[in-house]
Amino acid sequence: MNKKIRVLVAKPGLDGHDRGALVISQALRDYGMEVIYTGLRQTPEQIVAAAVQEDVDAIGLSCLSGAHNELFPEVMSLLKQRGAEDIIVIGGGVIPWEDIPFLESAGVRKIFTPGTPTVETAKYIEAAVLERDGYPAPAGMEPPKKIDHIGIAVESLDEVLPFYVNTLGLKLEAVETVETQKVKVAFLKVGQSRLELLEPIDEQSPIRQFINKRGQGVHHVALGVEDISSRIEELKKAGVKMIQEHPVKGAGGASIAFIHPSSTHKVLFELCEKPVEEGGES
Amino acid sequence: MNDHQERVKNWKLATEKSMQRFPERKERFETSSKFEVARLYGIEAEDYDIEKLGLPGEYPYTRGIQPTMYRARYWTMRQYAGFGSAEETNKRFRYLLKQGQTGLSVAFDLPTQIGYDSDHSMSKGEVGKVGVAIDSLEDMEALLRDIPLDKVSTSMTINAPASILLAMYIAVAEKQGVSSEKISGTIQNDILKEYIARGTYIFPPKPSMRLITDIFAFCKEHVPKWNTISISGYHIREAGANAVQELAFTIANGKAYVDAALAAGLNIDDFAPRLAFFFNAHNQFFEEVAKFRAARRIWAKLMKEHYKAKNPKSWQLRFHTQTGGSTLTAQQPDNNIVRVTIQALSAVMGGTQSLHTNSRDEALALPTEDSARIALRTQQIIAHESGVADTVDPLAGSYYVEHLTDVMEEEVTRYLEKIESLGGAVSAVEQGYMQREIHHTAYETQKSIEKGDEIIVGMNSFTVENEVQPELLRVDPALGEKQKEKLTRLKSSRDQHRVSARLDALRQGAQGSENLMPLILDCVRDYCTIGEICGILREEFGEFTGI
Repeated sequence: MNKKIRVLVAKPGLDGHDRGALVISQALRDYGMEVIYTGLRQTPEQIVAAAVQEDVDAIGLSCLSGAHNELFPEVMSLLKQRGAEDIIVIGGGVIPWEDIPFLESAGVRKIFTPGTPTVETAKYIEAAVLERDGYPAPAGMEPPKKIDHIGIAVESLDEVLPFYVNTLGLKLEAVETVETQKVKVAFLKVGQSRLELLEPIDEQSPIRQFINKRGQGVHHVALGVEDISSRIEELKKAGVKMIQEHPVKGAGGASIAFIHPSSTHKVLFELCEKPVEEGGES
Repeated sequence: MNDHQERVKNWKLATEKSMQRFPERKERFETSSKFEVARLYGIEAEDYDIEKLGLPGEYPYTRGIQPTMYRARYWTMRQYAGFGSAEETNKRFRYLLKQGQTGLSVAFDLPTQIGYDSDHSMSKGEVGKVGVAIDSLEDMEALLRDIPLDKVSTSMTINAPASILLAMYIAVAEKQGVSSEKISGTIQNDILKEYIARGTYIFPPKPSMRLITDIFAFCKEHVPKWNTISISGYHIREAGANAVQELAFTIANGKAYVDAALAAGLNIDDFAPRLAFFFNAHNQFFEEVAKFRAARRIWAKLMKEHYKAKNPKSWQLRFHTQTGGSTLTAQQPDNNIVRVTIQALSAVMGGTQSLHTNSRDEALALPTEDSARIALRTQQIIAHESGVADTVDPLAGSYYVEHLTDVMEEEVTRYLEKIESLGGAVSAVEQGYMQREIHHTAYETQKSIEKGDEIIVGMNSFTVENEVQPELLRVDPALGEKQKEKLTRLKSSRDQHRVSARLDALRQGAQGSENLMPLILDCVRDYCTIGEICGILREEFGEFTGI
């Protein structure tokens, strides 16, 4: 797709604070978009009319007066009336967190709060427009498709497997040793996902340290992704700290990388890209 | 005795004399170690540059406009407040006065600021949001109920319809039995910065300047203690300007008002003493202090040398300061208390006459009562605990601060010459010159924040994972409807014939060249609404629609 993305930046309501609107307009232009700025004091009717007439892909609404709960939903319903609900609407300004769910339920795609880097907004618009038009999203931007597996740290596979296999009735797929992580791993299939039981094989194993610190239990959540290298790059650009900056080999021939829990609100996430299976996913 | 020594001697005598009328707060000021703190330092030194720095209370006022500054009286602690209905705001005002605040500052909602009644279609969603909704004198009466207008000074952030709100204030005072000669306060009344940065303009520049000079002339006769304009750099800074741009564009606008008043036939010393200024206190501490000191010196020279004002009051730049709203972060909002403290300190070190300290939660919503109290306490701690108010202009003589003050003056002068070459501030605004300069700086700032060249603590560095969401103030969503009903009731109960007659008289006045203030005062006394009055003026003057 070669057409430039067109964005209408609009100020509904009466407030005259257009520093944010002007800065975001310039940032989107520098990112390569065409931007039309409406100027101050636009009614929802004027904004929607301009958006339709200018055939824009997206509208950015900026409001700092506190009138967003009235004005943003009105823009959404007017867009609908004009049959233009394919226009992606985002918003920003002085907007309390607790208003965001309401605005999003009214159809505003996303609210960007003060302090959001402008490039993040630009990328968001780009991805949303590409997705709407049926183009593949830029690498790494596609959300993870499923939970590939949940890792559970255990003292001894022999001790716990009877519970999983006999009591829960799960199917044991494989048991293998992953030397790089110093663990013995058992896979149990649950629908499209798996449980991954991890037993440390020596004192240096990260799982040993985990159990010593926190006891047995859920250790990590693995997200199934495509093109893991690009996704790692995206995350790094977003300021996320990785434990592995490049994919390493994990169990079952997968490429994996862990995200540092300091970037994920304390949950250990693994990105996991499986080699394409014969016959594909069922 | 040389000239320098002579001036110092005279200053001391004059100061002693004025202290009989305005005594200092204490007989003796001292530090925790019992060292005596003198009124003023440095003036006896041989290399003291008396031409450039002057003496406190003397031209060119680099060191302050009063001889004893805060040793006599602290700055006025004036917190901007107003939200929802007039009744609710009245309650907040009385709370703030009880907490030790010394002046009122009224925030109006956007429909009021743009001259629409609450029932106008443009007012949808905006009624009572960023300030109090005022449609008619009835609302103003409720806003000021039980507040003694002969004792409290009130600042009103109102620009395009400033005449109307001032007229309402006068009318409420009359009803309290307080004559217009006795009331004191400020209207912002600075339309040029609205075109540049703040956006609440109504009429085109020319009729707007007429309304402003009408106010100057009217107040000279009838409201002598009123500050008729507050020439504001604050919003220019908030829009993204740096310190030099803030000061330069404000002074340029100030010149434009003076020129307009002179062109309208007023005498410089009749209105110049009532001009006030309003600046931003931003993050860079020393640069801000230098900005305030340079502002006084530049204005004094301009008024004395360029405009040939004779009255020393005309030379004095008096200013209100507000800490920088756009420096506050939505992330870790408690950090904002610290930012505000540093900014407030720069305003005090710079010799401000009054100060508003922002509340920590203003990047998220209107301040809650708790946040507003902490903001006021911040000023009280600076005043009563830090000791910084015990000597006059304590940073004078710092090599760094004096250097910054000089550089600030030079750069501002350069900008003023540029604006002059564009035909003055009104013409520069019409050409979008200031707007472009500000936008350029704003965008550069944003880029350097995003690159991490500029660190904003808690936002692009030193972030935390789990932000606690603070309690936020909500404005009653039903307020718009209530205000509309109130307006409907008013319109059915007032004397409609008088209303029509008043509005007709205003229209005729607007078509001619007489002073509009008395006509507007007649309108508000008979309960014409802001929307009706501005409606007539919109029809006669036209509307400004942006550049």
